[in-house]
Amino acid sequence: MIISAPSQNSEPRLRIVGIVIGLGLLVLLAALWYVQILQGAHYGNRDQAQSLRRIRIPSARGDIVDRNGVVLANNRQSFDIVMYLEQLDHPSKRQNVVRIASETLAAINETLGTAVTLSDHDVRIHYEQRRPLPLTVMRDVSTNVVATFVERVNELPGADLIVTPIRQYPFGSLAAHLLGYVGKPQGVSDDTEQEPERFYYYQPDMVGVQGVEHACDKFLHGAPGGKTIRVGPRGGSVGTVSEKLALRGNRVVLTLDARIQRIVEEALDNVALPAGRELRGAAVVLDPRTGEVLAMSSRPTFDPNIFNPGVPAETVNAVLYDKARSPTLNRAIGARYAPGSTFKTVTLLAGLDAGVITPHDTVVCQGELRIGTWPRPFGCWNKHGHGALDMMGAMRQSCEIWFYQRGMAVGVDRIANMAMEFGLGQSTGIDIGNDLDGLVPTPEWKRQHRGEGWWDGDTAQMAVGQSFLLATPLQMANVAATFANGGTVLQPFVVKRIESPTGETLRETQLTVRRRLSVSPQNIELVRQAMATAVQSVDGTGHHAAVKGLNVAGKTGTAEADTAHGRIKRAWFIGFAPYEQPQIAAAVLFEDAESGGHTAAPVAAEILAGIFSKSAEKTAGDRGLYAD
Amino acid sequence: MRIKHYFELLRRMDWWLVVTMIALMVISVCFIYSASYRGPGQPMPRYYQMQMIWFGIGLVIYVVAALVDYRRVCEWAPVWYAMAIGALVLVLVAGTKVYGARRWLGWGSFGIQPSEIAKLAVIVAVSYYLFHRPPETRRQWRTVAAVLALAGVPLALIVVQPDLGSAMVLVPICLALMFVAGVRVKHLAVVVAIGLALAPLGWMQLRDYQKARLTVFLNPNKDPLGAGWNLNQSLIAVGSGGLTGKGYLQGTQNLLGYLPRTVAPNDFLFSVIGEETGFVGGACVVGLYGVLFLRGLRIAADARDRLGSLLATGVVAMLFFHVFINIGMTIGLMPIKGLPLPLLSHGGSFVLATMTALGLIQSVWIHRRVY
Repeated sequence: MIISAPSQNSEPRLRIVGIVIGLGLLVLLAALWYVQILQGAHYGNRDQAQSLRRIRIPSARGDIVDRNGVVLANNRQSFDIVMYLEQLDHPSKRQNVVRIASETLAAINETLGTAVTLSDHDVRIHYEQRRPLPLTVMRDVSTNVVATFVERVNELPGADLIVTPIRQYPFGSLAAHLLGYVGKPQGVSDDTEQEPERFYYYQPDMVGVQGVEHACDKFLHGAPGGKTIRVGPRGGSVGTVSEKLALRGNRVVLTLDARIQRIVEEALDNVALPAGRELRGAAVVLDPRTGEVLAMSSRPTFDPNIFNPGVPAETVNAVLYDKARSPTLNRAIGARYAPGSTFKTVTLLAGLDAGVITPHDTVVCQGELRIGTWPRPFGCWNKHGHGALDMMGAMRQSCEIWFYQRGMAVGVDRIANMAMEFGLGQSTGIDIGNDLDGLVPTPEWKRQHRGEGWWDGDTAQMAVGQSFLLATPLQMANVAATFANGGTVLQPFVVKRIESPTGETLRETQLTVRRRLSVSPQNIELVRQAMATAVQSVDGTGHHAAVKGLNVAGKTGTAEADTAHGRIKRAWFIGFAPYEQPQIAAAVLFEDAESGGHTAAPVAAEILAGIFSKSAEKTAGDRGLYAD
Repeated sequence: MRIKHYFELLRRMDWWLVVTMIALMVISVCFIYSASYRGPGQPMPRYYQMQMIWFGIGLVIYVVAALVDYRRVCEWAPVWYAMAIGALVLVLVAGTKVYGARRWLGWGSFGIQPSEIAKLAVIVAVSYYLFHRPPETRRQWRTVAAVLALAGVPLALIVVQPDLGSAMVLVPICLALMFVAGVRVKHLAVVVAIGLALAPLGWMQLRDYQKARLTVFLNPNKDPLGAGWNLNQSLIAVGSGGLTGKGYLQGTQNLLGYLPRTVAPNDFLFSVIGEETGFVGGACVVGLYGVLFLRGLRIAADARDRLGSLLATGVVAMLFFHVFINIGMTIGLMPIKGLPLPLLSHGGSFVLATMTALGLIQSVWIHRRVY
């Protein structure tokens, strides 16, 4: 069977087979060259795109401190209990994830004695889109729970304890409206179904919602860090590739003085209101030399710590959506009121400046005055009449009749112009935003908005701070500051300095002069004297604001306002001290009170006495006498 | 005495072939290890150890096949053929079902794929048949028809398993054997034309997953998470390897399991090599196969007789088809077919079949006429 046939015949065909095979191998080499060399970068990118994930690490917000370094807002550690879904026994189907997660949750609840629930939807979304991230089960748990957890963590596979920074306001509601609070950014929901970039795990920073937190958000929020992790095809993390630490936010130094703020808040809370009235009001304390806000307070108030995660939604909503009381409204800048008799200071200066009013102008007050053909007489707060009063007397007694008559002589244009010179009717430009313009009415304004002509009665009302006039407590504090410093309208500010985490000053707010009143210093001095008289005379309406050992100057105001609850009285006091070289200017307002003299002036006295460490003068005689 | 004779024969071996084979075996064990590596300290499947055992058994068979005169082996061609057909029938009846196909004959944990035996049996049987046809009849249609019938029976049996890839290997084997045996090119062209014409009919018989595999390489992004997954991940693995690769045990596609761990050590081992050693490594592997094939054809040319020549040609054709389809598949040149890479991919039956085939070639060389 062993035959030896020559194989030479097949040589050429074998060569062809060899060529075909050689060509085939060359095709493979060329394709390899194309894929690995020419397209190498492309596939390298695809490799990274599918296996690398960037995680954003939120940064710790910067501290907010007062002018002396007292910490008003910082961060504390929150202990959160979380579940790592990727560690839960490799579930292969969606339903299994949800089931295993709920079993783990049940184990956690049983171990810790808690009753937390998670929706299947949340678990699934988290599993599908943010698997390498911990799923938070409980936020900010108590130390007892932490202790129990640490003791029994071995019984709870897949569960872990992590620490996250949480915003804290050590003094609770102190300066709550001014500081503001933080919340989740609007428009970024937890539900990332619509999230455009699948490979980007977005952990939103908390953003400032109100006050300094909002206005200085870009300085406070810092720079988020990042972490690049490698994930497997199931989405689970298999290791960290690179990590960039989050940068802490900057420190905001306020002009606020925590001591003065506390004095102001206590004074507001201690106010003697007529029975049944709710405490609603505001107080602002400025340094009249600089425009620095030393204290700003609003009532009712709230505790900004409740906006932290972990606080039940009902508690938060009870504050946020309390339409009747609006506890988060900063009434010092976010609400406007008729300034009442405090505005007489402006009317008086307008008259003196125009030469229409002189200190010797005398008017006999009989308790009421008929103007034009108006059927009802315009009344004075003192229905019995003040009798004959000169300018100082009228300011001391806060006589309406005197200001009706002289005000009409000054005229609406001059009064309105002077009001605008003081910055009324426009934002003060304060650096925490949201402050209202208020309103300075003019005949043209009335025609446009009310469709009625202006008449003398409007001018008379405007002269005593009624009519359509509206101002915020901050604006009126600034009016007081302008009188205090002799006629310079300053821009009030709250942020004194921004400091980097390492302590270097990034920016410092400079004093901003908005305007110098184009009024002779003598006339300003006359009004200042009149304000001093109103407080220091035993029969002055502002005498309750007097402080022993301190020359206080000021003006009370009681403005009537028609509200849904009927006609109520706004109680005002604006003033400054010491008279000779003022260091403090203030405004105090109560929305619904008895009168400026009885309600606001004593609060102002308590504030000033506290600031200058004096005791308020309790020597005033018949309380009933000093009404306005 | 007898021993001395065998030593004499061994000394006549083609050492190019041996060295190339050993090199591929070493690469195989290294990268099967890498393909099942999960990271330091992680438990991993011991595929590489199993492969070493297969190689050990394979080497014994290789030496035996090399020492036995191929002409004696071919005298038993009808028996081998009958046994192969028997095994193919048996697997359809009693085979183990894996992923919906009956391809395995198993005894306990030990299993073989009869289709691998069939490939060898067809090479031997067709070579034997063509060798025994008088040269003039090789230019006749009947010879072509007979060869097609010889290969057609096992091909049909493998198709119904179904294992389209293995069945297709028989086609280039037969074409190469007939071509080298001297069948008219015109006849071969007609056969190929008829095959292509019948392809649409065959297409309709395909199962959905087979259609998906065949079409996905035309547009891998059509279904990137389904049928396109393996192809896409393999392309990313090979492509991201670049010129010099990511380094041994550093292939992230492989390590993280993007390249599915079930296929990385076998059908997609070349993707692991491409990712970790880059173009340089990939080209080396292609080069090693080039040496293997050209030496194989050299042996075919220098064979003592036409039988040895045909045997060597058939083996080279089979191995080349496997290499071309497999590497082509990992880089998107070819449809996805479950064809392993000779000597590299993990898997016992094909390792043994390949080494038996290489032993046969070696036998052809050892028993060549030395002038």
